[in-house]
Amino acid sequence: MLNWQSSPLTGIGFLGMVIGGVLILGLILGIVTYLIYFERKIIGWMQLRIGPNRVGPFGLMQSIADVLKLLIKEDIVPENADRSLFLLAPIIAFVPSFMVLALIPFTATHVFTSNTQVGLLLYLALSSITILGIVLGGWASNNKYSLLGGMRSAAQMVSYEIPLGMSVIGVVLLTGSLNLNTIVVAQSRHIWYIIPQIVGFIIFMIAGLAELNRTPFDLPEAESELVAGYFTEYSGFRFAFFMLTEYVYVFALCALATTLFLGGWSGPFLPSWIWFAIKTSACIFFIFWVRATMPRIRGDQLMGFAWKVLIPVALANLIVTAGVALL
Amino acid sequence: MSTLRSEEMILNVGPQHPSTHGVFRLVVTIDGEEIVDADPVVGYLHRGTEKLAENLQYTQIIPYTDRLDYLASMINNYALVHAVEYALDLEIPERAEHLRIIVMELNRIASHLLFVGAYLLDLGAMSPFLYVFQERERIVQLFTEICGARLTYNYMRIGGVKWDAPPGWLQKVREFIPFMREKIRMYDDLISGNEIFLNRVKGTGVFTQEEAINHSLSGINLRSTGFNWDLRKNQPYGIYDRFDFDVVLGQKGDCFDRYWLHMLEMEQSLRIVEQAVEAIGDGLILGKVPKLIRVPAGEYYAGIEGARGELGVYIVSDGKDKPYRLKLRRPSFVNLQILRKLLIGQSMSNLIAILGAVDIVLGEVDG
Amino acid sequence: MFGVFKGLGVTIRQLPKKKVTLMYPEVKPVWPERYRGIHEFIPELCIVCNQCARICPTDCISLSGTRDENKKLRIDTYDINFEICILCDLCTEVCPTESIRMTDQFELASYTRDSLYKDMKWLYQNHIEHGSYQALQAAKTEEEANAAREAQAANAEAASGAGQKASPEEANAARMPADETVSSSGKGGQPE
Repeated sequence: MLNWQSSPLTGIGFLGMVIGGVLILGLILGIVTYLIYFERKIIGWMQLRIGPNRVGPFGLMQSIADVLKLLIKEDIVPENADRSLFLLAPIIAFVPSFMVLALIPFTATHVFTSNTQVGLLLYLALSSITILGIVLGGWASNNKYSLLGGMRSAAQMVSYEIPLGMSVIGVVLLTGSLNLNTIVVAQSRHIWYIIPQIVGFIIFMIAGLAELNRTPFDLPEAESELVAGYFTEYSGFRFAFFMLTEYVYVFALCALATTLFLGGWSGPFLPSWIWFAIKTSACIFFIFWVRATMPRIRGDQLMGFAWKVLIPVALANLIVTAGVALL
Repeated sequence: MSTLRSEEMILNVGPQHPSTHGVFRLVVTIDGEEIVDADPVVGYLHRGTEKLAENLQYTQIIPYTDRLDYLASMINNYALVHAVEYALDLEIPERAEHLRIIVMELNRIASHLLFVGAYLLDLGAMSPFLYVFQERERIVQLFTEICGARLTYNYMRIGGVKWDAPPGWLQKVREFIPFMREKIRMYDDLISGNEIFLNRVKGTGVFTQEEAINHSLSGINLRSTGFNWDLRKNQPYGIYDRFDFDVVLGQKGDCFDRYWLHMLEMEQSLRIVEQAVEAIGDGLILGKVPKLIRVPAGEYYAGIEGARGELGVYIVSDGKDKPYRLKLRRPSFVNLQILRKLLIGQSMSNLIAILGAVDIVLGEVDG
Repeated sequence: MFGVFKGLGVTIRQLPKKKVTLMYPEVKPVWPERYRGIHEFIPELCIVCNQCARICPTDCISLSGTRDENKKLRIDTYDINFEICILCDLCTEVCPTESIRMTDQFELASYTRDSLYKDMKWLYQNHIEHGSYQALQAAKTEEEANAAREAQAANAEAASGAGQKASPEEANAARMPADETVSSSGKGGQPE
């Protein structure tokens, strides 16, 4: 395979990077489009509806039609908004969500995966930049609901970074590496980390849901309280960016969960990318399933849950794992 | 060191807000997420029903009552015809009385179902809202068969009801009862045990019995504090005294009690329907009523237990075929008065939980 | 702690169940007999008694009529303003000849307010297309056939002189289906 990660930067290598980036962008847009379609279908079925069924056979073109509609809509900037920040916020939110995908090993051959030694750390670091975009978007809109949404998301996402980070340290301890590729290889040799790290996995999924602002932790965009939260004032393309960010993160987080706890691309018989797709889809399905069932948690309870339950449990898990690893 | 500057913010919740259940506006002053002051503004759906009624014959007022509490039109219909019958001292045929009880209690179930669904939607769970529409659809179809409309029934008449039950209708009602009981169990599984839901509603929006009485609350809002007051038992009207049912009471007066009483009342309503379907006999559906209904001069008040509280009709008549003045005691409007007291000091997410549990219908609030 | 999982169990059980969505514009709903939709109007039956206009709570019916050469009142114009009609059914309830009735049509959406003002012609057209026209027509032919048969039976009775047993039964049997059609088409009026 073309090993452009470790070789020095040349013209060919740079071109390879650009092509790889564009390919992944195309892939991820396709994935997000059908992620939204399947979310609507699955939740529809769970609610005894049939979901989208008008555009194309079985409504398969529905999401594409939605995206097209958003693209041709007018880009409205409210008069009293902080114009430059308002325009910048969706980009700040989206770019990290796309960057983290570079770290996920989709297949055994790592065509598009950066084989960096600090992959996991980089994922967590990049994903927290998105919070800045959301807070800025909420603040710059100069709308009271947006402001409340932005405030809530800042508080929520900062608190849940900590249990999220702690829950994965157990995996790092067992592997002895922050490199995501190494973690998957280690799992394919021994056992999926979901078994020794079941507590870590549960905390990871809960904190992950909170990071994603998804039900039952969708306070920042709680439509019954804050209309649409931080993106109330956004429309058209910039609104699409926020939606895209949200769904790319759904995919990225499920991919990360697969990589860290479910053995990544490893599995018998089938090609590695199919194994990866199956495991990630299962995680995504779980997220949609939770969305169809749960009511929304309350802000103060959310904080209490993070600081009083998740972090102590994650710490205990960490200590036990450290003890086991030491032996 | 200078202190951090903070200021209060005025936030208009409504009239176009997803969870104000219609066009209700709440001007809240918030400090961060804490509510410092709340000022409900009503009247966006005001149609002047009481004034319109002064130019209408008593029969013509019935379709207008459909549009007050549009989730429980049958009960509203009954409130008016019951007041007029009380004023005229009419005798209602047995079969008509039974049909009235059946449709009213079915309507109460439909209304409570929608409360449960909409309340959970306010709290962020979408599925219950869509599930409840299935059961409600069964009830609405029963109503379409008996009176031809899905929402604005216009079914009651002074002295009886408009239509007799079509063939097989009573059997359908009988079949609905076990179906509904099973669904109530499903909602218990889905909602009543959910910790997230319980944490949100237990202990929020508490008021005491004295406060409830001082604000003249009625219906479930009053019963959630443990005060035993149900007009169906305490001032029996119609033939309610013949049926065996319990008045379910709450203990703490919080949002959970109000949710829970809605679930329990559905079960009690099913019991009443069950007994009424068995007890119904043949006979007339419309009693002897004069062609032109003139209420003798005087003042009359009749209150019934609506889906949301005491629904009263006060008629001032000068002996003509139209009321001189018609006052409707609309329970949603009265129950809303406690909202400001409940909201002050709460957070924004509690606002929705409390407003939802007070259970207002804007058609009724604005009249 | 387990309440959450119970809820998850309920939602996943719905996944394979039959969906309840109605395919509305393609498949029209079937309404029960008594469904209260847009009115139909039968001018021949109307006696211009004005009761419908008087009972209407929103005053949405306006009508006019003249006396013809037989001193009988005939309807000239009959308009319903569907902007304010609330489909309360009181007009059909008071109509003594059932000339105003309700169909199961409910689609009134339109681009202009004027088009919600329906006149006698439109309402009669609605009667022919969606209303009880066919049922009435069938009943009428049935009645005529009955009358003819009864006349025939009477003739036969007179002719034979001894066939008293068969004829009343035959007449009853012939009358029955006609009665049924009339009652099943009866959307207005009081059942009693």
